[in-house]
Amino acid sequence: MVGGHAASFPCKATDVCVGCSACVVSDKIREAVNHPGIRILTGCTISGLSGVKGNFLVKIAQEPGHVDAGRCIACGLCTEVCPTDPKAICLPQADAAPLAHSLDEGLCLRWDGKKCELCRGVCPTGAIEFDRNCHEEELRVGAVVVATGFQVFDAREKGSLGYGRYPGVMSGLDVENVFRRQGTLRLPGGDEEPDRIAFIQCVGSRDESHSYCSHVCCKYAMKLAALIKHQRPEARVTMFYIDLQTAGKGFAPFFEQYGEGIEFVRGVPVEVVQTESGQLEVKFEDISLGRVCRDTFDVVVLSVGISPRGDSWDLARVLGIDMAEDGFFDTATPVGSNETTVSGILLAGTCQGPKDIPDSVAHGIAAASKAMELLGMPVQADG
Amino acid sequence: MDSKHDMESRIGVFVCNCGEGMKNIDFDGLTEKVAGVPGVLSVTLSRDLCLDEGREKMVSLTRDKGVDRVVIAACSPDLKEDMFRQALESAGLNGNLISMANIREQCSWVHDGDVTGKAAELVMMAIERARLLNPVERRRLPVNTDVLVIGGGFSAMSTALRLSGVGLRTTMLVREPVLGAGSGEMEHLQGVDAGWIMAAVEKEPMIDVLTCVQMIGAEGEPGNLTVKVMKDGVESSRQFGAIVLATGFRTELLVDRGSTDDDVIAGPSIVSQERLRCMLDSSSLDSRPAVVGFLSDLADEDSRFATLATLNSALAVKARWGSEVYVLCRDVKVDSEGAERLYRRARECGVVFVKYDSAPRIALEDGIVTVEARDVFVGEEMILACDLLVGEELLSPGEGAEALGCLFGLRLDSGGFYQDENVHLYPVSSERKGVFFVGGCRGNADITRVQADIASVVTRVCGLLCPGSLQVDMERVKVDPQKCVACLTCIRVCPHGAIRLVREEGGTDVAVVSDSGCDACGVCAAICPAKAIEFQGYRDDELLAQIRAAGAL
Repeated sequence: MVGGHAASFPCKATDVCVGCSACVVSDKIREAVNHPGIRILTGCTISGLSGVKGNFLVKIAQEPGHVDAGRCIACGLCTEVCPTDPKAICLPQADAAPLAHSLDEGLCLRWDGKKCELCRGVCPTGAIEFDRNCHEEELRVGAVVVATGFQVFDAREKGSLGYGRYPGVMSGLDVENVFRRQGTLRLPGGDEEPDRIAFIQCVGSRDESHSYCSHVCCKYAMKLAALIKHQRPEARVTMFYIDLQTAGKGFAPFFEQYGEGIEFVRGVPVEVVQTESGQLEVKFEDISLGRVCRDTFDVVVLSVGISPRGDSWDLARVLGIDMAEDGFFDTATPVGSNETTVSGILLAGTCQGPKDIPDSVAHGIAAASKAMELLGMPVQADG
Repeated sequence: MDSKHDMESRIGVFVCNCGEGMKNIDFDGLTEKVAGVPGVLSVTLSRDLCLDEGREKMVSLTRDKGVDRVVIAACSPDLKEDMFRQALESAGLNGNLISMANIREQCSWVHDGDVTGKAAELVMMAIERARLLNPVERRRLPVNTDVLVIGGGFSAMSTALRLSGVGLRTTMLVREPVLGAGSGEMEHLQGVDAGWIMAAVEKEPMIDVLTCVQMIGAEGEPGNLTVKVMKDGVESSRQFGAIVLATGFRTELLVDRGSTDDDVIAGPSIVSQERLRCMLDSSSLDSRPAVVGFLSDLADEDSRFATLATLNSALAVKARWGSEVYVLCRDVKVDSEGAERLYRRARECGVVFVKYDSAPRIALEDGIVTVEARDVFVGEEMILACDLLVGEELLSPGEGAEALGCLFGLRLDSGGFYQDENVHLYPVSSERKGVFFVGGCRGNADITRVQADIASVVTRVCGLLCPGSLQVDMERVKVDPQKCVACLTCIRVCPHGAIRLVREEGGTDVAVVSDSGCDACGVCAAICPAKAIEFQGYRDDELLAQIRAAGAL
């Protein structure tokens, strides 16, 4: 599947568009998947790279899924006959791209030693294959663009905030997923909507081990908060922050409109504990008041930041590119450009550093222009 | 179109049951019903229209039977319509003679009850529409590969260099007598080495620089734009394929009560970032200010540029003068590349950041600027007496940006900057095809985003001009000169500036749609009070035929 993290973001519109860019993603995916000049290989890892700018040889190890995306027509017959619950074979997402089903070995009876092959029997196009043939392929290319994206900060690293321990403590991405699936934020394990919601900013950004701002958290948190307030005006939303990042085209008016309904507290909480009644007690220093305070909430949302991918080192080693201090890929010049330290290998998007969707789009287009420049895009004479 | 002609059409209907995945549709009943419709030449039931084998069958059948219109009843057109269109074009069918009915996502998957009935209705609607479709010719029109860059600052010079780098001849149109006005700001405030750029531009044979020139007019369409310029009172016109606006931004000091005389260094004052730069550069300093304050976030909540400028300047003051430095702000805007690190470095160097919650009061008394604010960390009112206060600056579009935007029919955003066609999808494109903008004039002034803008615009311009010709649908949207009353409504609503008024022989004015400038949005056709504009594929008769077909069964 292509689309990255962005493909799982929900539309955050209230009664008007708030410019969250989530809808842009599916347009981009469709454009890429249907483009005759783009070949998409999924399930691949790069095992080697040799050559120089203009003439790279890339070794690819492809581990294809059990469903051939080129032959799957997404008819849904396999899901219908699949006897497991939840279904072992299904569409991973309604707008997955390419639109093809996928089989989860962890759920499938065959990997449990049973002899089920109902899905393969019913598939009209013969797209399902239980034995996968991993194969290697070599590609000759002139330039390589690395666009491997980011990893969401794992909030369990901040143990005292209770993520993974208390169901009411959710990450920003969890909340995005809840909105995408259910359309409303509900109390974990229940149908009720929460009355008191806290957002804690800068979880995995701007701390001892992250000397950068993730660029996206203030905006997504504020948009989620606006959506919660829009759906349930009586809900109380509190946002704990260090510095509000309200810059960016068109964000200031949004902030003016929705900021009023949100309670802002300067200072990032150090501890979240669950009380006997199941509520979450947040302990924080209210810097404005200059003392330690406690407040209880039904749901605590941790605005997790953008972290470099854990496997960045492996890719950097294979490609021979450098890593920056923070774990993102390094650029040849100090200010965020696309060139890596290896000529012909370019960076696009958040693998180079935190970016929001519009900035990622611009950075990606910029990488394309560098590639054109490197390879010498021929200008045709008139006519 | 007369009905006799309608019935003579040779419509090929292809129905796909998606590998028998749509069990709630009776496909035999459906095909039977459709087969009897006048004008339908053949109905073919397929199970895999989207796979190579199914598609090849469709193509050969279309070619062999002489089918002149195709109706495809299958999944959502979003998924495969482009693919079907390409395949059928290879069979010699015009791409506009295809009509799709979505019987999967909008029917089988979401309905109970008479699903076959609705599917049949959808197919009938597509057939009635197909009957009336006209071919739309697709042509490649030659384009001029010269590019015009308007502006002479950092963004303009970088853009011109990059464009010439990919082999596009570039003309820079500069209003000032020299290149590089304002690029010093970038250098000083954003830590960019811009000195080499000017020399590189002057050396580059693919770049022509025209100075002291004023734009006075622009017309034409993407690939073939004509601009009128004025130099020394003489008018001339030039041809370009694309135009990039890089007119930059200007800053305006929000609080400026101090003097800007040369002796300002001796006395206290409130100065701008630019003035501070001059003072830092000046070698003849008698006394260095002991306390320097920076003020921001008073009015502008939106400026990453200001934050970067403040951080860089604060560090420079520390390094050059060793003064005590205070930065007063609401929030430190660190969501730009490297800003958090710069912020940390400033604090390590001893710059003190004071965050206030309500607007500080500023007074100038006995040569000392005092700033009174409530420090949220200390929780108390504080009074800062500084020898020099660097005031907050507001960013606004460069001088004349609005008038220039008018020439091209560009929209402006709430801050007066040029509005992108789509902030997310097409960051540097204007709504007018062939006209782009970069950097400060679109509201992006921090260096990393400006760099991305510049590279993006090169991609966009290359995409438009490098093939040497532009694929254009001819007369997809057309004005009937007999019906047009030249009311100008369409010209006013067209978001793409693609319609203009042309004087015909005999002296009557009519609106004419530029085929290459048109984006086929259909706004003009919908709004035309005289119903003079036809949008092929969505003409009134085509839409009405579908509505009638929907009710007929």
